[in-house]
Amino acid sequence: MTFNSLAFFLFLPAVWLAFYAAADRWRWLVLLLASYAFYAALGVPYLLGVLLGVTAITYGCGLMLARAGEETKRKRIFWGSVGVNLSVLVGMKYLPFLEENLKRLFHLGQKSPLLPVHPVLVGIGVSYFVLQAISYLADIYLETQEPETHVGRFALYMAFFPKLLQGPIERAGDLLPQLKQTYRFDYDNMRSGLLLFAWGLVKKVVIADRLALYVNAVYGDVHAWSGLPLLLATYFYALQIYFDFSGYTDMALGVGRLFNLRLTQNFKSPYLATSVADFWRRWHISFSRWILDYIFKPLQMIWRNWGTKGTAGMAMALLVTFLASGVWHGARWGYVVWGVTHGIYLAVSVYWNPHQKKLHKVLRLEKTGVLRVWQMVVTFHLICFSWIFFRAESLSDALYVMNNLFTGLGNYRGFLFQHGTTELAALLMGLSIIFAVRLLWTSGREMPDYPGWLRWAGYVSLVEWLLLFNIDIQRAFLYFQF
Amino acid sequence: MVSEKLKGVILRELDLEDFDMVDSTTASMVPGWDSLKHVRIIMAIEEAYDLRFRTLEVIRLKSVGELQALIDKKTA
Repeated sequence: MTFNSLAFFLFLPAVWLAFYAAADRWRWLVLLLASYAFYAALGVPYLLGVLLGVTAITYGCGLMLARAGEETKRKRIFWGSVGVNLSVLVGMKYLPFLEENLKRLFHLGQKSPLLPVHPVLVGIGVSYFVLQAISYLADIYLETQEPETHVGRFALYMAFFPKLLQGPIERAGDLLPQLKQTYRFDYDNMRSGLLLFAWGLVKKVVIADRLALYVNAVYGDVHAWSGLPLLLATYFYALQIYFDFSGYTDMALGVGRLFNLRLTQNFKSPYLATSVADFWRRWHISFSRWILDYIFKPLQMIWRNWGTKGTAGMAMALLVTFLASGVWHGARWGYVVWGVTHGIYLAVSVYWNPHQKKLHKVLRLEKTGVLRVWQMVVTFHLICFSWIFFRAESLSDALYVMNNLFTGLGNYRGFLFQHGTTELAALLMGLSIIFAVRLLWTSGREMPDYPGWLRWAGYVSLVEWLLLFNIDIQRAFLYFQF
Repeated sequence: MVSEKLKGVILRELDLEDFDMVDSTTASMVPGWDSLKHVRIIMAIEEAYDLRFRTLEVIRLKSVGELQALIDKKTA
């Protein structure tokens, strides 16, 4: 069941009513059962078993970690439980990929007795709840978090349905205390939650899915295109993935608010970033916090004596961290190259930043608007370049796109008008409205402050927009696959 | 209490003239104290006090007060 399916539009009110009607001490159970039903509705029976297994092991190991006094024992429990969680992730996501590459490396035939044949498993949600389980265990190990003793609340922390399939990856310290609060009906939360949900739905079905029509036509058959259409399709993909993923996050946050639960904001205008490091403070924030805290920081500390003032250690830690980020996204070489590209950007910036500061001083550009705009444009293009590897169907397709981006105008009219003038106008109008609303919101005036008639006019327009301009309302979200 | 020596090392690494630091001060409260600067501050402290931190000890730190306590323990 996805957020943009008819089943979810029936499921959500039913869950909310059951939650509202239940006694406060049983509300966690309503949400937990709803979350398991939501996951089971995907129609892949073993997924629920994997979630239950990860939940049970993480809960038990969390308690054992907190009770074990001796450091060696703590270390053994911690690495053992992290190992189990990682094995689940590898088993679900990477075995077919590893097998295929080993076969290629050793020129083994398809029916080699040396390597067993693994089925391709559907792992929707697994990447997210496994990272959440590891963060819970790490926080207990680092003594920044007490273990949760209530097994039901812990299970809900792992499975809460709005964030189960695609994040945000919640920290125990952020979500668990909220699950213990007494629920009181809050009109403002209901209103802002529903509005955020509808806004996210617009981002997904009106904007992202419309952009996909153009992107898929090019990236599905790159050799049929050259020049400007490849460039435009790459820009369109940068917008598509943002509106798809941030739309999903808005919907998740909106649903959370209906139950008075505040989930982590995953995006802060990422394409306004002035550097790649800044981009990672604004893009998929719950994930970037995770890799920063649990991979980058320990590596950076271990390698702190490499190079002058630890510069080489820092660069290497960034490379390894972003390689891991690429691998996490899936078993494809395109994701690995995408991650390594970001690692290289950040590692180079460790060496380049001191010179860059001096250069800005000499040119008297420090803190000027011109510099800010220039940095935004450069950063956006660096990010777009990396998206080529992320989106292309294969590495050879990505190389073809790279080599043919600037080979002339190509059939740009064919690209822009492939779905007719009306579709293009609907897309441009949609993007303009989104940017206008974004400008109004950044100016500090939230929707609820406007007079009633204006708010209701806004709500009605939003629903009409959704109904008239949506594209195939049941299309899956891009980040489910990771 | 945060000693003048520790405060001096931190301010020097962050290029700050002055900043009021108490036990509960955290890195996010101090301008420029990001994860990249953090490791440089730790290395500068190791040099100034002639000591060596373990990775876990540093990762577990939550405030300047805890950093001071760790230094005091190691230099006692």
